[in-house]
Amino acid sequence: MLNINNLQVEVGGTPIIKGLTLQVPAGEVHAIMGPNGAGKSTLSYALTGRDGYEVVGGTATLNGEDLLELAPEERAAKGLFLSFQYPLEIPGVPTLTFLRTALNAQRKARDEAEISVPDFMKLSRDVAKKLGVTPEMMKRPLNVGFSGGEKKRMEIYQMALLDPRFMILDETDSGLDIDALKVVSEGVNALRGPDKGMLVITHYQRLLDHIKPDRVHVLAGGRIVDSGGPELALALEADGYDRYKDAA
Amino acid sequence: MALAEVRLLAGEEALLNALPHTEAGEAAKAHFAAAGLPNRRVEAFKWTDVRAALADGIAEADGSAGLIPECLQEALILDFAPEGFGLEGEKDQGLIIETEDSLELEGAGPLAMLAAGFAPRAVVLRVTQSQSRPVVLRRHPGAPMRVRLELEAGTRLTLIDTGLATAGLSTGLLEIEIGADAELVRYSLQNGGTAAIDFTHVAVTVADTGRYHAIALMFGGKLARAETQVMLAGEGASCLIHGAYLLSGSSHADMTTKVVHGGPNGQTRELFKGALQDRARGVFQGKILVERAAQKTDARQNHHALMLSEGAEIDAKPELEIYADDVQCAHGNTIGALDDQALFYMRQRGIPEAQAKALLVEAFVTEVFDAIEHEGVRDWFSDLARTWLEATSS
Repeated sequence: MLNINNLQVEVGGTPIIKGLTLQVPAGEVHAIMGPNGAGKSTLSYALTGRDGYEVVGGTATLNGEDLLELAPEERAAKGLFLSFQYPLEIPGVPTLTFLRTALNAQRKARDEAEISVPDFMKLSRDVAKKLGVTPEMMKRPLNVGFSGGEKKRMEIYQMALLDPRFMILDETDSGLDIDALKVVSEGVNALRGPDKGMLVITHYQRLLDHIKPDRVHVLAGGRIVDSGGPELALALEADGYDRYKDAA
Repeated sequence: MALAEVRLLAGEEALLNALPHTEAGEAAKAHFAAAGLPNRRVEAFKWTDVRAALADGIAEADGSAGLIPECLQEALILDFAPEGFGLEGEKDQGLIIETEDSLELEGAGPLAMLAAGFAPRAVVLRVTQSQSRPVVLRRHPGAPMRVRLELEAGTRLTLIDTGLATAGLSTGLLEIEIGADAELVRYSLQNGGTAAIDFTHVAVTVADTGRYHAIALMFGGKLARAETQVMLAGEGASCLIHGAYLLSGSSHADMTTKVVHGGPNGQTRELFKGALQDRARGVFQGKILVERAAQKTDARQNHHALMLSEGAEIDAKPELEIYADDVQCAHGNTIGALDDQALFYMRQRGIPEAQAKALLVEAFVTEVFDAIEHEGVRDWFSDLARTWLEATSS
């Protein structure tokens, strides 16, 4: 599904990702853990095509299609979704307008018919109910005045509505209390499927109690320095990242 | 010492010769023959050079007066056309319409004088009872308008004025007196072509607890300038002045306002927003003057502009001048580009770049229209803004 080979990324001329190789097969959830500054967010931005994150070497494909040549919106239409660590506030754009615009833009890019307003309203309500997103939140401009937890819930709500094939969750647990974490994790788990993949980026093991990964990778100094099963996350929680200092 | 004689350019000569032989026409001619037309050496016109725009003469008037939108089908229409003044629609009780050949000029400055000079006569509207039917002042291409509007105490009127010439010189002068506790709500729209020159001057006096609410949308022209002067003379008088300008190509639009707080407990709310691209030029000059007697004044002015391309230019001059000591006054002025982070966020959700930009600009600008109480007019202005965005982002 997602295939990253020897990826190298620079930000402002400084190498951040220095030859990263990673495969996430369909149906699996992989976690990427690592200390601050390891390049976790850089990886998510490089994969989604943000300006300023320059890929200087390597490849990244989704279901065999080259991602790196595509504009961000084209990658989104191919089914790539990033749940932002810090979701943006978009003043003046009502949440539902934003989402319907996004959904229809993706459908158009895939040569699918637009969703009708009644169908969209029904879909948005059904998904909202499951994630504890209130009608009040959906009427407000996107993320404006939302608490950190509400913003994260809104990210997962968008994810559920857009129904992507591959999801990158960047520090989705930050800013969430334990109740919100449960709601969000249940939402994420509901989106797992045999033809879907997920990359869960996190600093702490706590999120992985709720979203159980198939594989855990340690990112340090711009490279994957260790990989293992879920037990690796527990070991990291106990011992910290110190032992990877030299590996980087 | 004798003043050096002003040498008029050919275009200025032609303009002055076009002024009618009325009292106001002769007065304007004498003034401009001596002083010349306002140009960049005159402080108030340093960014809007009237002389330069008229140097090659004035293009022949062209374009239409514009269609009245569905939401204003009930309105009383006053047409100002080159061949004269006309009325369309029903007039309700409590609105008196007369014409006057000679009126003392209430507005100030060269554009007021020019507009008065071109108008063969003034149309005088007196509101003696509140009007539920809006009044539309429709300025036709190449035509002058002069309107004196008086709202008696406690009355209310909604006024819409439009100037949509694609070429030629169009002028408008509105002299407004708002009585005690009376309210004027005004929506104005200007949209000109590359050969259109459009000057309007609005002079408003507001008595005790009277209210002046104005929301304007401008698309500019070869040179377009809308001047507003408000005198909050009474106690507790207030004004709300909102303006949006959307400029592309080589459009030029200038919003120049001056609000004077003359009485205590007055309130001013100003919000101006603009978006520019290509080689367009936007000018915002906003002055709020609080006189010594105007204690407890609460005045706020905001101007924010978005530059959508490198070649565009914005000139802004916000000014507060305060002589009273117990007042609340604030102003903010920003000029920036679209937020890259917001843009990337939207694109990551699958919204193409051009569409994402249009959504962001629309959201930015339409805040100005939130103050429009008339739902139909709000939709009308929002639709015009959206159409502009779609045309410019494609």
